[in-house]
Amino acid sequence: MEQAPRDPERQLQPAPLEPLGCPDAGLGAAVGKEAAGAGEEDSGVDTMTHNNFWLKKIEISVSEAEKRTGRNAMNMQETYTAYLIETRSVEHTDGQSVLTDSLWRRYSEFELLRNYLLVYYPHIVVPPLPEKRAEFVWHKLSADNMDPDFVERRRIGLENFLLRIASHPILCRDKIFYLFLTQEGNWKETVNETGFQLKADSRLKALNATFRVKNPDKRFTDLKHYSDELQSVISHLLRVRARVADRLYGVYKVHGNYGRVFSEWSAIEKEMGDGLQSAGHHMDVYASSIDDILEDEEHYADQLKEYLFYAEALRAVCRKHELMQYDLEMAAQDLASKKQQCEELATGTVRTFSLKGMTTKLFGQETPEQREARIKVLEEQINEGEQQLKSKNLEGREFVKNAWADIKLCSHADQYVQKGNSSLDQC
Amino acid sequence: MAGGPKALPSTGPHSLRDMPHPLAGSSSEEAVGGDSTPSPDLLMARSFGDKDLILPNGGTPAGTSSPASSSSLLNRLQLDDDIDGETRDLFVIVDDPKKHVCTMETYITYRITTKSTRVEFDLPEYSVRRRYQDFDWLRSKLEESQPTHLIPPLPEKFVVKGVVDRFSEEFVETRRKALDKFLKRITDHPVLSFNEHFNVFLTAKDLNAYKKQGIALLTRMGESVKHVTGGYKLRTRPLEFAAIGDYLDTFALKLGTIDRIAQRIIKEEIEYLVELREYGPVYSTWSALEGELAEPLEGVSACIGNCSTALEELTDDMTEDFLPVLREYILYSDSMKSVLKKRDQVQAEYEAKLEAVALRKEDRPKVPADVEKCQDRMECFNADLKADMERWQNNKRQDFRQLLMGMADKNIQYYEKCLMAWESIIPLLQEKQEAK
Repeated sequence: MEQAPRDPERQLQPAPLEPLGCPDAGLGAAVGKEAAGAGEEDSGVDTMTHNNFWLKKIEISVSEAEKRTGRNAMNMQETYTAYLIETRSVEHTDGQSVLTDSLWRRYSEFELLRNYLLVYYPHIVVPPLPEKRAEFVWHKLSADNMDPDFVERRRIGLENFLLRIASHPILCRDKIFYLFLTQEGNWKETVNETGFQLKADSRLKALNATFRVKNPDKRFTDLKHYSDELQSVISHLLRVRARVADRLYGVYKVHGNYGRVFSEWSAIEKEMGDGLQSAGHHMDVYASSIDDILEDEEHYADQLKEYLFYAEALRAVCRKHELMQYDLEMAAQDLASKKQQCEELATGTVRTFSLKGMTTKLFGQETPEQREARIKVLEEQINEGEQQLKSKNLEGREFVKNAWADIKLCSHADQYVQKGNSSLDQC
Repeated sequence: MAGGPKALPSTGPHSLRDMPHPLAGSSSEEAVGGDSTPSPDLLMARSFGDKDLILPNGGTPAGTSSPASSSSLLNRLQLDDDIDGETRDLFVIVDDPKKHVCTMETYITYRITTKSTRVEFDLPEYSVRRRYQDFDWLRSKLEESQPTHLIPPLPEKFVVKGVVDRFSEEFVETRRKALDKFLKRITDHPVLSFNEHFNVFLTAKDLNAYKKQGIALLTRMGESVKHVTGGYKLRTRPLEFAAIGDYLDTFALKLGTIDRIAQRIIKEEIEYLVELREYGPVYSTWSALEGELAEPLEGVSACIGNCSTALEELTDDMTEDFLPVLREYILYSDSMKSVLKKRDQVQAEYEAKLEAVALRKEDRPKVPADVEKCQDRMECFNADLKADMERWQNNKRQDFRQLLMGMADKNIQYYEKCLMAWESIIPLLQEKQEAK
């Protein structure tokens, strides 16, 4: 069950598609599906299809990338890459897939979708996008966003993103997500109309600001620490890996210099000539082999980056808990002080120093009517406060329950095997 | 002196103990006198012993220094009928470097062990200690006394103090190998190996006494030496010697380039190594954060560590085995070019004297004796030089074949070590996957 809907519009079933075998009620069911849902974050359509209802019904692929030119918000010419998203529904009977939707989206639209999901599902670890700009580059050339290799790796990353959302028991039912796949024009306006930007907690942007929280859920605090450390170690790993790749490139390329000199040397030799010529040729081949090797390694780096971004997403959820808990505690504190004020007014005793108390002393006591009025206001506020506190408490508890379930969904350790295998190729 | 004996055959990398008795049958002779090239890693081996004793054209001398085996060696050699009509009868080894600390200086000496059946040697075996200066002295004497021949190069005399440690194991070992090569090349030479200075170098208990005595020798030889360095200028170098000169110029140039590239590669590899040494441990740090993943991550870290070690071994090998040979051949080329110049001098002198006689317009039926002597000297020089060039070319081919194959082998070994390291953690990762 999702959070108490503040905005009834955003929570809709994707009508034209088949009824989901997916849990439609109760978080308990969703948690229960953990076993079925687990392991879905792997890349590749194959591992996803056989475990999840949703993907049995439809297939999503980001099949192509195209360079486009257009005008941006400031009416300036720009070049960007658009990606083709194709959605297919699979017929039960013969397993054939039929293309139901096909549209083009650019990276910024994916970003918009994700930002929306982050706001509306704060307790969900939202799958990460591939990086916006090429980071941890090992060679100056790779920093180009238009580089075909970069575009290809991004295409794969975007596909994984969509597949992971589609396989998530809660996110898959979001209407905006559905529209992202089906409604090319006007989608941006639709998203913006939800007003999600206003709901976004700006405090989330201040990553390192500390909020003194007295009773956070220890699991979340620990998880936040873990995700911080994981981010730190993976960033370090990626940085060093980039330097390693750079140096390795240098080693191979310098060997290429042998090619020419061996060839020149072979010209003055009789018996040795052929051998030297051949040696020179092989040095050239060796030197050029590094390009493919390092390109393959980029895929490994991409997987590490996925871990990095997932850790970020995880941290965000922990952070939201922290903020929620903070708000809760602040509200409770506020309520307590209001109650006290009310009591003081009612009984006429001033136990604590207050501005009101001072002014009363200086300027004389207020009239009983005024006092009554103030007591009434305070009582109303107290009531409100208590209500708020109750709902916040409820919210907080719901959040913790949902988030924890979702975190469980994400945690699996078998991605590292893929990582290990690709490391072998680098050897 | 013209022509000279042919180049000694390669006997292959067999220990003499493994060789069948010469009288056992004709097939055994092939085993002894075959033309097999020794496997490259023998040249690169660092342990002392048989493996070190590869001569430029591939032969090996006697194995150990025990009297029993050397006498059996001599027996075999006396009865042996070599294919080319030549018998290897002189073996020299340079080993056992030792540091000597004296009040005035500290220096290294090397043990020179000689085994020979030649009549020029009083004893069948000698063992003496020599330092670099002595080698340097020997080379100068050879240059003086055998000006028509190509004298092998010595490793560089001067090292920049502070940059290179003259007493480090690596430096001493590199030098020892080069000195050993130097003596073996002389040993292989049909003329140089019979040089009396060489004999004294190998046998004398007190070389310094002989050196002092040698100054007197020098004055007697002074005349002929002066002749060689007379100030005549040659108009044109004959085609074949010009070709040799051009060849040596280009050859040295190319080797110089290869040397620079190799140095650059080593530098890049070292920088790569530095990064690798930081990379591996990060996996360990990560593994400390994890539960189930801890073991595989630690495994990856260890694996990278192994690859780093393998790379370090490769760069050491390249520095110690590959670069010195390149430099040696560059020095060789330089000294050979000087010999070519000396030859030019001799020819120039002859032509000048001949011209002088022609200009005199005397009706002498025969050419004066000193002009004839000049002609003789020139023709001998030419013949010696040509023979030495051919020998040098053969040896050079062998040496470079070994060198380049050795380099290839070292690289292959490096990759094999890395492959092994990564393959060893596959089971660790797979087992984890199956557990899931």
